[in-house]
Amino acid sequence: MRMADVEDQILVRQALRGGLESFGELCRRYYPSLVAVADSILLDHHLAEDAAQEALAAACRGLNTLKRPESFGAWVGSICRNVARDMLRQLARQQEAADAPVKDVRDCAEDDQNSILAEAVQELPQHLKEVIFLRFYNEMSYEQMAKVLGATQQTIDGRLRRAKKKIAVHLKRKGLRNSGVL
Amino acid sequence: MMRNDGGQWLERLLARHIHHEPAKFDFQRWSEKHPEESQLLESGFKDSSQSQETRTYCVLRCIMESKVTRYSAAVVALAMGLVLMNPFGASRHGGVLLADVQKRIAETDTMVLRGQKIFSCVADPNISFKFDVVKYMSRAYGHTEEGYLGDKPVYRITFNLQRKQTIIVLPIWKKCLIFPCTDEQTRIVERLSPTGLIDLFLQFDYKELGADNIDGIEVEGFELENLKPMENILPKFLFDIQQGKATVWVGVKELLPIRIEGDMLIGKSLMTAFTELRLHEFCILEKYNIQLDEKIFNTDIPEGYTETKLTDFIPLKAGLAGLGAGAVPIGLVVWCKKHKKRDSAGISTP
Repeated sequence: MRMADVEDQILVRQALRGGLESFGELCRRYYPSLVAVADSILLDHHLAEDAAQEALAAACRGLNTLKRPESFGAWVGSICRNVARDMLRQLARQQEAADAPVKDVRDCAEDDQNSILAEAVQELPQHLKEVIFLRFYNEMSYEQMAKVLGATQQTIDGRLRRAKKKIAVHLKRKGLRNSGVL
Repeated sequence: MMRNDGGQWLERLLARHIHHEPAKFDFQRWSEKHPEESQLLESGFKDSSQSQETRTYCVLRCIMESKVTRYSAAVVALAMGLVLMNPFGASRHGGVLLADVQKRIAETDTMVLRGQKIFSCVADPNISFKFDVVKYMSRAYGHTEEGYLGDKPVYRITFNLQRKQTIIVLPIWKKCLIFPCTDEQTRIVERLSPTGLIDLFLQFDYKELGADNIDGIEVEGFELENLKPMENILPKFLFDIQQGKATVWVGVKELLPIRIEGDMLIGKSLMTAFTELRLHEFCILEKYNIQLDEKIFNTDIPEGYTETKLTDFIPLKAGLAGLGAGAVPIGLVVWCKKHKKRDSAGISTP
């Protein structure tokens, strides 16, 4: 077991014994990753922050049901993914109810390059979009990403390569130069 | 394949496009915004005021956070809601006293029953759902069952006979499921009704429990220890009723079921999210032949609620109608899809 896993295990156990500050430490550790995961789904930073906070509340309520405390990161990551998807569904329904066309919440019309890039990222499958967001949101390490995704660093590396390749292909197709695709 | 310089160019582009300042977490503010969670933490998860209700709430929340378990829970709620729900099924069998009971039921237009439903996990009896239930039954309009935790409404299931429509309302999540009631579903309702139950008594050897008195009403009891015929109501992999026992206390003067009790062991199946469950339910007849407002059986979406369609969970054009015949592909598709998704995301369940 890695040191970070041991630390998580200790923090979860302390939190279960009434350690408010231990849970606070867990929140501080995973909050940036959770925001990145939620943003990859919601494409809105403020909503992503709300989703991350709600995910931590849900994790708190269910902490005593967590069977493997060392996997807190992957567990809260899954909760956050579900919360964000739920929020996305609610948003879609609200937009449908308001009879408004579903629009991208991120302003991607700054320039052509940005909008094409946003389009490329949005077209990625969710599991590849997540690694891109985690990697480039706060320049997260592979180790940090692995913890919140519950995957090995090799898997993360593979996903990042595939995601970047797909983005590069999209950019080339849209005529962006220097896209780096051979 | 990407060139190194091209890869760096793309990385710079992505970093510029996606990068955000690290999100800072303010635990103090979070605690103020989530007082119940903070209290739960401070108490070390031992606060008695939180214990049962929070545990139940958490179990329900866990169920609703997964598509598979949410679908399963909805169907379990529906299936179990229908147990002892409909007194107006067709009567086809004769008997001494019970035949009179069926005749009397056939003459009754409305009933209101109150009781409790207690689900518990076989593996961990500490995990249990206990609902107070109220059942409204009308020959003209249909059936409604409301489930409560204390005074907080948790679910409502309405089976509207005129519209041939069912609604499951979940107030905690402000969501509801609406689907049509087909002939197949109506058939299931009838088989799970008290009339259907009395049919079972008449088909098999039941035990007479003798006379008793419930709240001043003279009653006679009947017990059926083996609910084997109910085992085949749904396919076993979907809803595996392994054992069942039912007791009916019939009012001697009223000739109506005054108290109905049921116990079931439900094996690991898709509808129970592959958990063994025990169900104990009892209902007491509170009123009968009274005027019931049609609104009780309304299947419109309540104000402020959003509809979650069954087709959101099931990628096939099928509903509960297919529980009998078409349920196999539905269940497998839902389950396989979930697993495929989980595998592709590399998620390991903690």
